[in-house]
Amino acid sequence: MTLEAVHRDEFASNPKRGWFERNRSVIIRHAVINFFLLIILLPLAWVLIMSVKTLPDSLRGDFWPRTFDFTHYGYVFQRIKTLPYNLFNSIYVTFFTVLITTVCAVLAGYSLVHLRPRGAGLVATALLVSLYFPVRVVSLISIYETQHFLGLINNTAGLILPYVTLQLAISILIMRSMFQLVPHELIEAARIDGAGPWRTLWLVGLPMVRNGLVVILIVNFVTAWGEYLLCVTLIDDEKARTMPVVLAAAQSGQGQWSWPNIAAVYMIVVAPGIVAFSLAQKLFFKGLMEGALKA
Amino acid sequence: MTRGGAVSLNDGRGKSGVSQRSRSNDALHASTFSMTQTVASASVNSAQRGGRLGGEASPLRRGIGAWLFLLPAVAFFVGYQVYPIFRVVWISFTDYKFLTNQPTHWVGFDNYIDALHDPLLWASLWRALEFTIMFLPGTIVLPLLLAILIDRVTNPHLATFYRVVLLIPAVIPSTLVFVLWKWMYNYQSGPINHLLVDTLGLFSLQNAPQWLGGTPLTLPSIAIMENWWGLGYHTIFFLAGLAAIPKDLPEAARVDGANEWQVFWYVTRPRLAPIMMILVVLRFGSAMAVIDEYLIFGGFNRASPTYTWTVFMYDQAFKLGLWRQGFAASIGMIGAVAMMCVMVLLIWIFRPRGE
Repeated sequence: MTLEAVHRDEFASNPKRGWFERNRSVIIRHAVINFFLLIILLPLAWVLIMSVKTLPDSLRGDFWPRTFDFTHYGYVFQRIKTLPYNLFNSIYVTFFTVLITTVCAVLAGYSLVHLRPRGAGLVATALLVSLYFPVRVVSLISIYETQHFLGLINNTAGLILPYVTLQLAISILIMRSMFQLVPHELIEAARIDGAGPWRTLWLVGLPMVRNGLVVILIVNFVTAWGEYLLCVTLIDDEKARTMPVVLAAAQSGQGQWSWPNIAAVYMIVVAPGIVAFSLAQKLFFKGLMEGALKA
Repeated sequence: MTRGGAVSLNDGRGKSGVSQRSRSNDALHASTFSMTQTVASASVNSAQRGGRLGGEASPLRRGIGAWLFLLPAVAFFVGYQVYPIFRVVWISFTDYKFLTNQPTHWVGFDNYIDALHDPLLWASLWRALEFTIMFLPGTIVLPLLLAILIDRVTNPHLATFYRVVLLIPAVIPSTLVFVLWKWMYNYQSGPINHLLVDTLGLFSLQNAPQWLGGTPLTLPSIAIMENWWGLGYHTIFFLAGLAAIPKDLPEAARVDGANEWQVFWYVTRPRLAPIMMILVVLRFGSAMAVIDEYLIFGGFNRASPTYTWTVFMYDQAFKLGLWRQGFAASIGMIGAVAMMCVMVLLIWIFRPRGE
């Protein structure tokens, strides 16, 4: 194990040796970490570069293009007729899914911890069990039936209903563990001061679970934005589909779907998540640690 | 594989943390212990106890008002998770068909017997297990190594930067990860083969590796992709676990003359065991039930290693046009029950033993 060697050296620092010798373990550590960061970033960098290559350059396979060509981003929206529809579908389905799931999860988490209705324990147990069961795959057959019964086959907005439940259980459980960090005395005090449960939640509870809120917002965004299975099963019409299904079906090399064009579409779809995460990372990590360490 | 699996690790870990803490907390009352832990667990316990007492003090609030808050979530949960599962169980015992007017008959275990006699079911279950076995080690070994390395980074800005970059794949939606790697693995123009053929010259265009598309390399390729995707997430869990270990424990061991490997094996590893267990169990669950990747990479070729029980079920229910939804439902139930059995077994194997 190289680790062992690395750390043994760290504590046997000898001032007489050179700078490199003394800092060798630190250097190796950072080198290993950066190697993995490179592995993570390279595929993404490849797509980014691909999206600004000229068509001939894109076929050569070299990483760095000979000439840059930024026209693909405009081209895909002008020439691929269904693309604006697909993007709009993705945006509103994701927006409402995230909104509904978050509201449900906050209300439920608050109720499970601070209102404790009869049967709360049963609900929490059922939510936990559902995390271990492959619900998403097995329930597909009857979700198709339900959507057909409701007349929601080939209806993009209809996707929101099953999408909400995809991460609902975990969102509720995260909110529950966040609300457990809010002292009950605080909630009680607000109640004694005459605030109803809604006002208490809005003014006292919500600000204290802000970090957890960021976590479930990001988790739900990522899931809804990239959902494939339900969309490809329930929607047949190319125009009514969401971006991930269109991208997964895009075959390279055929005119409008040339490599740089697909790459440009890809960057448009993948960028919002990465940007949002980078901006909210501080709150996200706090929420993660509060939820994860909880005790 | 859904991100949910990954996130739920977070919560599951929290839960096990609580149960462990409260268990150890009882012991703590008798003996003195490390300050930080006692303070942390005491505060949580008081919060929980306060919650319980408060709830019981006002029975009125246990009524309709409290359920009103729970109702939207429960409505969605029951409508799109609980009911569908029970409905599928029922369907699996019938000759149910989508979109027909013919009456549905109860056929008992016929679908299950048909399925169990179908060699394709066993092959498809085995393929799912093969993939899971290829995938699981990568959820433990590399993330653990990375977490130990990053945990020692002292510069706070650099530590944050490392964490953010590591987590970038985790905020890429599932399908986009698959699309990305479909290009990476592309036989002709993918950068991996470009590197192997044009840059390194290890292969020629004729014998370059065919990563996807039903070759024996397909499942390992998907497993590598999944580990790329989950690397940051798994690392973060180990980092959270490492942060919970009081710094004086490994220090004390070092003072006592333990080398780094011994410190890891006897001090760090036992304290990370609960995280490893949750990771293995939940990732086993998500890996066995993978479907999106297989549909995107493999399609419905029955000979392909990506034709697992999930694809088999999907094929029967939606693609073949035979409308054997009852049969498909029984495949789904067999697969789900089989993997649940293994998960229970795993939990039993990794159960916390008295120390």
